[in-house]
Amino acid sequence: ASVPYSHTERETFLAEHCRPGVVLKSASCDIFQNLAFEDWIHAHVDVEKRSILFMCRNRPAVVIGRHQNPWQECNVPLARERGIPVARRRSGGGTVFHDLGNVNLTFFSSRKRYDRQRNLRIVTRALRQLSPNLDVHATERFDILLNKQFKISGTAAKLGRTGAYHHCTLLCSADRALLSATLRSACAAGIRSNATPSVAAPVRNLRDEDPTLNCDAVMEAVASQYYADFGLSAPAVVVDPTDELSHPGIRRITQELQAWDWVFGKTPAFSLDTSFEVQCEACDTKVNLTVGVKSGAIETCSIESPQDWLPPAMCRELSGLMVGSRFRPSDMAVIFTAFLRANPQSHELENKMHILCEKVVALM
Amino acid sequence: MATRVAFRCMLASFPSALTPRRLPLRVCAHSRALGTSSRAAAALKFTDKHEWVRVEDGVGTVGISNFAQEALGDVVYCSLPEVGTKLNQMDEFGALESVKAASELYSPLTGEVTEVNQDLAENPGLVNKSCYKDGSQGAGA
Repeated sequence: ASVPYSHTERETFLAEHCRPGVVLKSASCDIFQNLAFEDWIHAHVDVEKRSILFMCRNRPAVVIGRHQNPWQECNVPLARERGIPVARRRSGGGTVFHDLGNVNLTFFSSRKRYDRQRNLRIVTRALRQLSPNLDVHATERFDILLNKQFKISGTAAKLGRTGAYHHCTLLCSADRALLSATLRSACAAGIRSNATPSVAAPVRNLRDEDPTLNCDAVMEAVASQYYADFGLSAPAVVVDPTDELSHPGIRRITQELQAWDWVFGKTPAFSLDTSFEVQCEACDTKVNLTVGVKSGAIETCSIESPQDWLPPAMCRELSGLMVGSRFRPSDMAVIFTAFLRANPQSHELENKMHILCEKVVALM
Repeated sequence: MATRVAFRCMLASFPSALTPRRLPLRVCAHSRALGTSSRAAAALKFTDKHEWVRVEDGVGTVGISNFAQEALGDVVYCSLPEVGTKLNQMDEFGALESVKAASELYSPLTGEVTEVNQDLAENPGLVNKSCYKDGSQGAGA
Protein backbone atom coordinates (compact mmCIF):
# COMPACT_ATOMS: atom_id res chain seq x y z
CA ALA A 1 0.00 0.00 0.00
CA SER A 2 1.21 3.56 -0.58
CA VAL A 3 1.52 5.83 2.41
CA PRO A 4 1.26 9.59 2.04
CA TYR A 5 3.91 11.47 3.99
CA SER A 6 4.43 15.16 4.53
CA HIS A 7 7.64 16.55 3.09
CA THR A 8 9.46 16.61 6.46
CA GLU A 9 8.27 13.16 7.36
CA ARG A 10 9.44 11.82 4.07
CA GLU A 11 12.86 13.39 4.29
CA THR A 12 13.36 12.08 7.82
CA PHE A 13 12.10 8.68 6.81
CA LEU A 14 14.54 8.51 3.91
CA ALA A 15 17.45 9.89 5.89
CA GLU A 16 16.93 7.60 8.85
CA HIS A 17 16.57 4.50 6.85
CA CYS A 18 19.32 5.34 4.35
CA ARG A 19 17.63 3.13 1.87
CA PRO A 20 19.66 2.22 -1.16
CA GLY A 21 16.40 2.19 -3.12
CA VAL A 22 13.23 4.21 -2.77
CA VAL A 23 9.91 3.98 -4.60
CA LEU A 24 8.08 7.24 -5.25
CA LYS A 25 4.55 7.37 -6.58
CA SER A 26 3.14 10.52 -8.12
CA ALA A 27 -0.04 12.16 -6.88
CA SER A 28 -0.39 13.88 -10.25
CA CYS A 29 -1.83 12.63 -13.55
CA ASP A 30 -0.49 15.55 -15.54
CA ILE A 31 2.17 14.61 -18.11
CA PHE A 32 4.05 17.91 -17.79
CA GLN A 33 4.12 17.82 -14.01
CA ASN A 34 5.39 14.25 -14.04
CA LEU A 35 8.03 14.90 -16.68
CA ALA A 36 9.10 17.94 -14.64
CA PHE A 37 9.39 15.74 -11.57
CA GLU A 38 11.71 13.38 -13.45
CA ASP A 39 13.80 16.34 -14.53
CA TRP A 40 13.93 17.66 -11.01
CA ILE A 41 15.08 14.31 -9.53
CA HIS A 42 17.69 13.99 -12.28
CA ALA A 43 19.03 17.45 -11.55
CA HIS A 44 18.84 17.54 -7.76
CA VAL A 45 19.02 14.11 -6.20
CA ASP A 46 22.34 12.41 -5.51
CA VAL A 47 21.89 8.95 -6.95
CA GLU A 48 25.35 7.72 -6.06
CA LYS A 49 24.09 6.35 -2.77
CA ARG A 50 20.41 5.89 -3.48
CA SER A 51 18.50 4.69 -6.50
CA ILE A 52 14.92 5.73 -7.08
CA LEU A 53 11.94 4.21 -8.84
CA PHE A 54 9.29 6.77 -9.80
CA MET A 55 5.84 5.59 -10.86
CA CYS A 56 2.98 7.52 -12.37
CA ARG A 57 -0.01 7.41 -14.68
CA ASN A 58 -1.09 10.25 -16.90
CA ARG A 59 -4.28 11.55 -18.43
CA PRO A 60 -4.20 11.07 -22.22
CA ALA A 61 -1.08 12.55 -23.79
CA VAL A 62 1.29 11.88 -26.67
CA VAL A 63 4.90 11.81 -25.57
CA ILE A 64 7.62 12.11 -28.19
CA GLY A 65 11.33 11.55 -27.77
CA ARG A 66 13.90 14.33 -27.42
CA HIS A 67 14.90 14.38 -31.08
CA GLN A 68 11.65 13.50 -32.75
CA ASN A 69 9.27 15.30 -35.08
CA PRO A 70 5.75 15.53 -33.61
CA TRP A 71 4.17 16.01 -37.04
CA GLN A 72 5.85 12.83 -38.19
CA GLU A 73 4.96 10.83 -35.09
CA CYS A 74 1.35 11.70 -34.42
CA ASN A 75 -1.70 13.51 -35.69
CA VAL A 76 -1.06 16.88 -34.12
CA PRO A 77 -4.31 18.54 -35.29
CA LEU A 78 -6.35 15.58 -34.04
CA ALA A 79 -4.61 15.58 -30.67
CA ARG A 80 -5.27 19.31 -30.39
CA GLU A 81 -8.93 18.82 -31.29
CA ARG A 82 -9.35 16.11 -28.68
CA GLY A 83 -7.57 18.11 -26.00
CA ILE A 84 -4.71 15.62 -25.87
CA PRO A 85 -1.46 17.45 -25.12
CA VAL A 86 1.72 16.63 -27.02
CA ALA A 87 4.79 16.54 -24.78
CA ARG A 88 8.48 16.17 -25.63
CA ARG A 89 10.62 14.19 -23.20
CA ARG A 90 14.20 15.03 -22.33
CA SER A 91 15.16 11.41 -22.91
CA GLY A 92 15.62 9.81 -26.33
CA GLY A 93 13.60 7.03 -27.86
CA GLY A 94 10.31 6.91 -29.69
CA THR A 95 6.74 8.09 -29.34
CA VAL A 96 4.27 6.67 -26.87
CA PHE A 97 0.67 7.29 -25.97
CA HIS A 98 -0.11 7.74 -22.30
CA ASP A 99 -3.45 7.40 -20.62
CA LEU A 100 -4.66 6.25 -17.23
CA GLY A 101 -4.47 2.65 -18.40
CA ASN A 102 -0.72 2.96 -18.90
CA VAL A 103 1.84 2.75 -16.11
CA ASN A 104 5.05 4.78 -16.33
CA LEU A 105 8.15 3.64 -14.50
CA THR A 106 11.36 5.66 -14.18
CA PHE A 107 14.49 4.04 -12.75
CA PHE A 108 17.00 6.61 -11.48
CA SER A 109 20.52 5.45 -10.71
CA SER A 110 24.16 6.46 -10.93
CA ARG A 111 25.73 6.01 -14.35
CA LYS A 112 27.65 3.06 -12.99
CA ARG A 113 24.50 1.28 -11.95
CA TYR A 114 22.65 2.14 -15.15
CA ASP A 115 21.30 -1.19 -16.36
CA ARG A 116 18.13 -1.26 -18.45
CA GLN A 117 17.86 -5.05 -18.68
CA ARG A 118 18.06 -5.32 -14.93
CA ASN A 119 15.24 -2.82 -14.57
CA LEU A 120 13.12 -4.66 -17.10
CA ARG A 121 13.71 -7.94 -15.23
CA ILE A 122 12.20 -6.30 -12.17
CA VAL A 123 9.13 -5.50 -14.26
CA THR A 124 8.76 -8.94 -15.85
CA ARG A 125 9.30 -10.65 -12.52
CA ALA A 126 6.64 -8.46 -10.96
CA LEU A 127 4.17 -9.33 -13.72
CA ARG A 128 4.84 -13.04 -13.31
CA GLN A 129 4.30 -12.69 -9.55
CA LEU A 130 0.78 -11.50 -10.34
CA SER A 131 0.19 -13.86 -13.22
CA PRO A 132 2.53 -16.86 -13.09
CA ASN A 133 1.89 -18.18 -16.60
CA LEU A 134 2.29 -14.82 -18.28
CA ASP A 135 4.61 -14.91 -21.29
CA VAL A 136 6.52 -11.66 -21.03
CA HIS A 137 10.13 -11.00 -21.88
CA ALA A 138 12.42 -8.06 -22.63
CA THR A 139 13.99 -7.83 -26.09
CA GLU A 140 17.41 -6.53 -27.13
CA ARG A 141 15.74 -3.29 -28.05
CA PHE A 142 14.48 -3.05 -24.45
CA ASP A 143 10.84 -3.55 -25.45
CA ILE A 144 8.76 -5.92 -23.38
CA LEU A 145 6.77 -8.37 -25.49
CA LEU A 146 3.67 -10.30 -24.51
CA ASN A 147 3.36 -13.77 -26.04
CA LYS A 148 6.52 -12.96 -28.02
CA GLN A 149 4.38 -10.81 -30.30
CA PHE A 150 2.78 -7.81 -28.73
CA LYS A 151 4.62 -4.82 -27.40
CA ILE A 152 3.44 -3.88 -23.94
CA SER A 153 6.36 -1.66 -23.02
CA GLY A 154 8.81 0.72 -24.67
CA THR A 155 11.97 2.21 -23.20
CA ALA A 156 13.79 5.52 -23.31
CA ALA A 157 16.73 6.83 -21.36
CA LYS A 158 18.82 9.84 -20.45
CA LEU A 159 22.44 9.96 -19.37
CA GLY A 160 23.49 12.94 -17.31
CA ARG A 161 26.82 13.95 -15.84
CA THR A 162 26.65 11.72 -12.80
CA GLY A 163 23.22 10.12 -12.87
CA ALA A 164 21.08 8.41 -15.42
CA TYR A 165 17.49 7.40 -15.80
CA HIS A 166 15.68 4.75 -17.71
CA HIS A 167 11.96 4.96 -18.11
CA CYS A 168 9.44 2.68 -19.67
CA THR A 169 5.71 2.40 -20.23
CA LEU A 170 3.50 -0.56 -19.44
CA LEU A 171 0.18 -1.05 -21.21
CA CYS A 172 -2.37 -2.37 -18.75
CA SER A 173 -5.72 -1.06 -19.95
CA ALA A 174 -5.02 1.78 -22.35
CA ASP A 175 -7.55 3.00 -24.89
CA ARG A 176 -6.11 1.32 -27.97
CA ALA A 177 -8.49 2.97 -30.40
CA LEU A 178 -7.47 6.40 -29.20
CA LEU A 179 -3.83 5.33 -29.23
CA SER A 180 -3.95 4.24 -32.89
CA ALA A 181 -5.85 7.29 -34.08
CA THR A 182 -3.58 9.74 -32.28
CA LEU A 183 -0.32 8.10 -33.31
CA ARG A 184 -1.20 8.10 -36.98
CA SER A 185 0.42 11.11 -38.61
CA ALA A 186 -1.50 13.05 -41.23
CA CYS A 187 1.56 14.03 -43.23
CA ALA A 188 4.46 11.71 -42.39
CA ALA A 189 4.84 10.61 -46.01
CA GLY A 190 5.79 14.10 -47.09
CA ILE A 191 8.29 14.79 -44.31
CA ARG A 192 12.05 14.63 -44.86
CA SER A 193 14.15 14.99 -41.75
CA ASN A 194 16.88 13.37 -39.70
CA ALA A 195 14.73 13.25 -36.60
CA THR A 196 14.81 9.93 -34.80
CA PRO A 197 11.93 7.79 -36.05
CA SER A 198 9.71 5.53 -33.99
CA VAL A 199 9.51 1.84 -34.68
CA ALA A 200 5.84 0.89 -34.85
CA ALA A 201 4.74 -2.39 -33.29
CA PRO A 202 1.50 -4.22 -32.62
CA VAL A 203 0.42 -3.64 -29.04
CA ARG A 204 -1.78 -5.32 -26.50
CA ASN A 205 -3.12 -4.51 -23.06
CA LEU A 206 -2.08 -6.76 -20.19
CA ARG A 207 -5.62 -6.69 -18.92
CA ASP A 208 -6.83 -8.37 -22.12
CA GLU A 209 -4.54 -11.27 -21.32
CA ASP A 210 -5.31 -11.40 -17.60
CA PRO A 211 -8.08 -9.25 -16.11
CA THR A 212 -6.33 -9.06 -12.73
CA LEU A 213 -3.50 -7.04 -14.28
CA ASN A 214 -4.82 -3.54 -13.64
CA CYS A 215 -2.59 -0.50 -13.12
CA ASP A 216 -2.76 -0.43 -9.33
CA ALA A 217 -1.93 -4.11 -8.95
CA VAL A 218 0.92 -3.80 -11.43
CA MET A 219 2.41 -0.73 -9.74
CA GLU A 220 2.28 -2.39 -6.36
CA ALA A 221 3.94 -5.54 -7.70
CA VAL A 222 6.72 -3.60 -9.41
CA ALA A 223 7.36 -1.56 -6.25
CA SER A 224 7.62 -4.74 -4.17
CA GLN A 225 9.97 -6.34 -6.67
CA TYR A 226 12.11 -3.21 -6.78
CA TYR A 227 12.45 -3.12 -3.02
CA ALA A 228 13.09 -6.86 -2.94
CA ASP A 229 16.02 -6.30 -5.31
CA PHE A 230 17.60 -4.24 -2.53
CA GLY A 231 16.60 -6.74 0.11
CA LEU A 232 13.98 -4.37 1.49
CA SER A 233 10.29 -4.23 2.02
CA ALA A 234 8.56 -0.90 2.24
CA PRO A 235 5.62 1.15 1.01
CA ALA A 236 5.88 3.53 -1.91
CA VAL A 237 6.08 7.19 -0.90
CA VAL A 238 3.52 9.50 -2.51
CA VAL A 239 5.00 12.67 -3.97
CA ASP A 240 3.36 15.84 -5.26
CA PRO A 241 5.09 17.26 -8.36
CA THR A 242 3.34 20.59 -7.84
CA ASP A 243 4.93 21.07 -4.42
CA GLU A 244 7.37 23.91 -5.07
CA LEU A 245 8.51 23.98 -1.45
CA SER A 246 9.72 20.39 -1.48
CA HIS A 247 11.03 20.67 -5.01
CA PRO A 248 12.26 24.21 -5.58
CA GLY A 249 12.30 25.13 -9.23
CA ILE A 250 9.87 22.45 -10.35
CA ARG A 251 7.21 24.93 -11.45
CA ARG A 252 9.61 26.59 -13.86
CA ILE A 253 10.58 23.19 -15.28
CA THR A 254 6.89 22.34 -15.76
CA GLN A 255 6.34 25.59 -17.65
CA GLU A 256 9.41 25.01 -19.84
CA LEU A 257 8.13 21.58 -20.79
CA GLN A 258 4.75 23.00 -21.76
CA ALA A 259 6.17 25.79 -23.91
CA TRP A 260 5.61 25.63 -27.66
CA ASP A 261 9.29 26.40 -28.18
CA TRP A 262 10.20 23.16 -26.40
CA VAL A 263 7.50 20.81 -27.63
CA PHE A 264 7.43 21.94 -31.26
CA GLY A 265 10.32 24.37 -31.55
CA LYS A 266 12.90 21.71 -30.70
CA THR A 267 11.97 19.64 -33.73
CA PRO A 268 15.06 18.94 -35.87
CA ALA A 269 14.96 20.78 -39.19
CA PHE A 270 12.62 19.16 -41.69
CA SER A 271 10.90 19.73 -44.99
CA LEU A 272 7.29 18.94 -45.72
CA ASP A 273 6.14 18.36 -49.26
CA THR A 274 2.46 17.77 -49.65
CA SER A 275 -0.54 18.57 -51.76
CA PHE A 276 -4.24 18.92 -51.13
CA GLU A 277 -7.22 18.74 -53.35
CA VAL A 278 -9.34 21.76 -53.98
CA GLN A 279 -12.44 22.13 -56.04
CA CYS A 280 -12.07 24.01 -59.28
CA GLU A 281 -15.02 24.58 -61.57
CA ALA A 282 -16.76 21.35 -60.56
CA CYS A 283 -13.59 19.26 -60.85
CA ASP A 284 -10.85 18.55 -58.35
CA THR A 285 -7.39 19.91 -58.68
CA LYS A 286 -4.25 19.93 -56.54
CA VAL A 287 -2.41 22.65 -54.71
CA ASN A 288 1.18 21.84 -53.73
CA LEU A 289 2.78 23.08 -50.57
CA THR A 290 6.46 22.76 -49.75
CA VAL A 291 7.84 24.14 -46.51
CA GLY A 292 11.22 24.00 -44.81
CA VAL A 293 10.91 24.26 -41.05
CA LYS A 294 13.74 24.91 -38.62
CA SER A 295 13.33 25.33 -34.87
CA GLY A 296 9.59 25.33 -35.47
CA ALA A 297 9.77 28.33 -37.81
CA ILE A 298 9.12 28.33 -41.55
CA GLU A 299 12.37 29.04 -43.39
CA THR A 300 11.28 28.37 -46.92
CA CYS A 301 7.85 28.10 -48.40
CA SER A 302 6.32 27.58 -51.79
CA ILE A 303 2.69 27.25 -52.74
CA GLU A 304 1.82 26.06 -56.22
CA SER A 305 -1.71 26.42 -57.37
CA PRO A 306 -3.25 25.91 -60.80
CA GLN A 307 -3.52 29.32 -62.45
CA ASP A 308 -7.29 29.28 -62.55
CA TRP A 309 -7.63 28.54 -58.84
CA LEU A 310 -5.31 31.10 -57.26
CA PRO A 311 -3.12 33.59 -59.16
CA PRO A 312 0.58 32.65 -58.92
CA ALA A 313 1.39 36.16 -57.71
CA MET A 314 -0.90 35.68 -54.74
CA CYS A 315 0.68 32.32 -53.96
CA ARG A 316 4.13 33.84 -54.07
CA GLU A 317 3.18 36.70 -51.82
CA LEU A 318 1.51 34.42 -49.34
CA SER A 319 4.54 32.11 -49.29
CA GLY A 320 6.74 35.09 -48.63
CA LEU A 321 4.61 36.12 -45.67
CA MET A 322 4.72 32.64 -44.18
CA VAL A 323 8.51 32.64 -44.07
CA GLY A 324 9.68 33.57 -40.61
CA SER A 325 6.45 32.64 -38.84
CA ARG A 326 5.96 29.55 -36.73
CA PHE A 327 4.60 26.32 -38.14
CA ARG A 328 1.56 26.82 -35.99
CA PRO A 329 -2.19 27.34 -36.66
CA SER A 330 -2.44 30.60 -34.73
CA ASP A 331 0.43 32.10 -36.71
CA MET A 332 -1.17 31.07 -40.01
CA ALA A 333 -4.51 32.56 -39.04
CA VAL A 334 -2.83 35.89 -38.32
CA ILE A 335 -1.00 35.88 -41.65
CA PHE A 336 -4.00 35.01 -43.76
CA THR A 337 -6.20 37.55 -42.03
CA ALA A 338 -3.59 40.28 -42.39
CA PHE A 339 -3.06 39.40 -46.04
CA LEU A 340 -6.74 39.63 -46.89
CA ARG A 341 -7.13 42.86 -45.02
CA ALA A 342 -4.21 44.44 -46.86
CA ASN A 343 -5.19 42.95 -50.22
CA PRO A 344 -8.97 42.84 -50.48
CA GLN A 345 -10.07 40.26 -53.02
CA SER A 346 -13.17 39.25 -54.81
CA HIS A 347 -15.59 37.14 -52.81
CA GLU A 348 -14.59 34.07 -54.79
CA LEU A 349 -10.87 34.53 -54.21
CA GLU A 350 -11.41 35.21 -50.52
CA ASN A 351 -13.28 31.93 -50.20
CA LYS A 352 -10.40 30.12 -51.86
CA MET A 353 -7.95 31.76 -49.48
CA HIS A 354 -10.03 30.54 -46.56
CA ILE A 355 -10.00 27.03 -47.97
CA LEU A 356 -6.24 27.22 -48.48
CA CYS A 357 -5.75 28.47 -44.94
CA GLU A 358 -7.87 25.63 -43.57
CA LYS A 359 -5.90 23.03 -45.54
CA VAL A 360 -2.55 24.41 -44.40
CA VAL A 361 -3.65 24.65 -40.76
CA ALA A 362 -4.96 21.07 -40.93
CA LEU A 363 -1.35 19.94 -41.33
CA MET A 364 -0.07 21.79 -38.30
CA MET B 1 52.28 34.75 -26.73
CA ALA B 2 48.54 34.85 -26.46
CA THR B 3 48.33 31.20 -27.43
CA ARG B 4 50.78 30.26 -24.74
CA VAL B 5 48.67 32.10 -22.22
CA ALA B 6 45.63 30.22 -23.30
CA PHE B 7 47.46 26.90 -23.07
CA ARG B 8 48.83 27.73 -19.68
CA CYS B 9 45.39 28.55 -18.39
CA MET B 10 44.04 25.32 -19.74
CA LEU B 11 46.79 23.19 -18.26
CA ALA B 12 46.75 24.89 -14.91
CA SER B 13 43.10 24.94 -14.16
CA PHE B 14 41.29 22.68 -16.57
CA PRO B 15 38.37 22.20 -16.47
CA SER B 16 37.27 24.64 -13.80
CA ALA B 17 38.66 28.12 -14.56
CA LEU B 18 37.61 30.27 -17.44
CA THR B 19 40.24 31.44 -19.89
CA PRO B 20 40.95 35.15 -19.71
CA ARG B 21 40.48 35.67 -23.43
CA ARG B 22 37.90 34.12 -25.67
CA LEU B 23 39.39 31.05 -27.18
CA PRO B 24 38.57 29.92 -30.69
CA LEU B 25 36.46 26.85 -30.35
CA ARG B 26 36.50 24.47 -33.24
CA VAL B 27 34.69 21.24 -32.76
CA CYS B 28 36.11 18.62 -35.05
CA ALA B 29 37.62 15.19 -34.76
CA HIS B 30 40.83 13.51 -35.78
CA SER B 31 40.96 10.14 -37.41
CA ARG B 32 41.44 7.22 -35.13
CA ALA B 33 44.52 6.30 -37.10
CA LEU B 34 46.13 9.60 -36.18
CA GLY B 35 45.09 9.12 -32.62
CA THR B 36 47.54 6.30 -32.23
CA SER B 37 50.53 8.50 -33.07
CA SER B 38 52.08 9.93 -29.95
CA ARG B 39 52.33 13.42 -31.40
CA ALA B 40 48.60 13.69 -32.02
CA ALA B 41 47.84 12.08 -28.65
CA ALA B 42 50.05 14.57 -26.83
CA ALA B 43 48.19 17.47 -28.42
CA LEU B 44 44.82 16.38 -27.05
CA LYS B 45 43.60 17.34 -23.60
CA PHE B 46 40.81 15.27 -22.11
CA THR B 47 38.08 16.44 -19.78
CA ASP B 48 36.78 14.22 -17.03
CA LYS B 49 33.64 13.86 -19.12
CA HIS B 50 35.60 12.39 -22.03
CA GLU B 51 35.51 15.31 -24.37
CA TRP B 52 38.84 16.11 -25.92
CA VAL B 53 40.19 19.51 -26.83
CA ARG B 54 43.10 20.47 -28.99
CA VAL B 55 44.23 24.07 -29.14
CA GLU B 56 46.29 25.33 -32.05
CA ASP B 57 47.00 28.96 -32.94
CA GLY B 58 44.30 30.13 -30.59
CA VAL B 59 41.68 27.83 -32.08
CA GLY B 60 40.28 25.05 -29.93
CA THR B 61 38.91 21.90 -31.47
CA VAL B 62 36.46 19.72 -29.53
CA GLY B 63 35.26 16.18 -29.87
CA ILE B 64 34.45 13.13 -27.77
CA SER B 65 36.91 10.43 -26.90
CA ASN B 66 37.03 6.87 -28.15
CA PHE B 67 36.09 5.76 -24.66
CA ALA B 68 33.01 7.96 -24.78
CA GLN B 69 31.87 6.85 -28.20
CA GLU B 70 32.24 3.20 -27.20
CA ALA B 71 30.31 3.83 -24.01
CA LEU B 72 27.54 5.58 -25.95
CA GLY B 73 26.94 2.86 -28.47
CA ASP B 74 25.74 3.64 -31.98
CA VAL B 75 24.97 7.33 -32.27
CA VAL B 76 21.66 7.87 -34.02
CA TYR B 77 21.28 11.61 -33.67
CA CYS B 78 23.60 14.57 -33.22
CA SER B 79 22.71 18.22 -32.80
CA LEU B 80 25.35 20.95 -32.71
CA PRO B 81 25.29 24.73 -32.24
CA GLU B 82 25.18 27.33 -34.95
CA VAL B 83 28.35 29.10 -36.02
CA GLY B 84 28.62 32.29 -34.03
CA THR B 85 27.18 30.83 -30.83
CA LYS B 86 29.04 32.09 -27.79
CA LEU B 87 29.68 29.48 -25.15
CA ASN B 88 31.01 29.44 -21.63
CA GLN B 89 32.83 26.46 -20.22
CA MET B 90 30.28 23.90 -19.00
CA ASP B 91 27.48 25.34 -21.17
CA GLU B 92 25.36 22.79 -22.91
CA PHE B 93 26.21 23.13 -26.61
CA GLY B 94 24.56 20.17 -28.25
CA ALA B 95 23.07 16.76 -27.81
CA LEU B 96 23.70 13.21 -28.85
CA GLU B 97 21.31 10.34 -28.91
CA SER B 98 22.61 6.84 -29.09
CA VAL B 99 21.04 3.42 -28.71
CA LYS B 100 22.07 3.76 -25.10
CA ALA B 101 20.41 7.05 -24.20
CA ALA B 102 20.11 10.75 -24.92
CA SER B 103 22.92 12.85 -23.49
CA GLU B 104 24.00 16.47 -23.56
CA LEU B 105 27.34 17.78 -24.77
CA TYR B 106 29.05 20.30 -22.51
CA SER B 107 31.57 22.84 -23.72
CA PRO B 108 35.03 22.27 -22.25
CA LEU B 109 36.07 25.77 -23.27
CA THR B 110 34.84 29.33 -23.33
CA GLY B 111 34.69 30.74 -26.79
CA GLU B 112 32.73 31.40 -29.93
CA VAL B 113 31.89 28.65 -32.37
CA THR B 114 33.55 29.30 -35.73
CA GLU B 115 33.04 26.01 -37.47
CA VAL B 116 30.75 23.05 -37.06
CA ASN B 117 31.11 19.63 -38.58
CA GLN B 118 27.88 19.53 -40.61
CA ASP B 119 28.46 15.92 -41.64
CA LEU B 120 27.46 14.78 -38.19
CA ALA B 121 23.86 15.96 -38.55
CA GLU B 122 23.47 13.90 -41.72
CA ASN B 123 25.59 11.01 -40.59
CA PRO B 124 25.70 10.73 -36.80
CA GLY B 125 27.41 7.35 -37.06
CA LEU B 126 30.64 9.21 -37.84
CA VAL B 127 30.93 9.94 -34.14
CA ASN B 128 31.50 6.22 -33.61
CA LYS B 129 33.52 5.47 -36.73
CA SER B 130 35.90 8.37 -36.58
CA CYS B 131 35.69 10.18 -33.30
CA TYR B 132 39.03 11.89 -33.62
CA LYS B 133 38.59 13.19 -37.14
CA ASP B 134 35.47 13.09 -39.27
CA GLY B 135 33.29 12.54 -36.26
CA SER B 136 34.45 15.60 -34.36
CA GLN B 137 31.97 18.23 -33.54
CA GLY B 138 33.26 21.60 -34.65
CA ALA B 139 35.56 24.53 -34.17
CA GLY B 140 35.44 27.75 -32.27
CA ALA B 141 37.33 30.95 -31.74
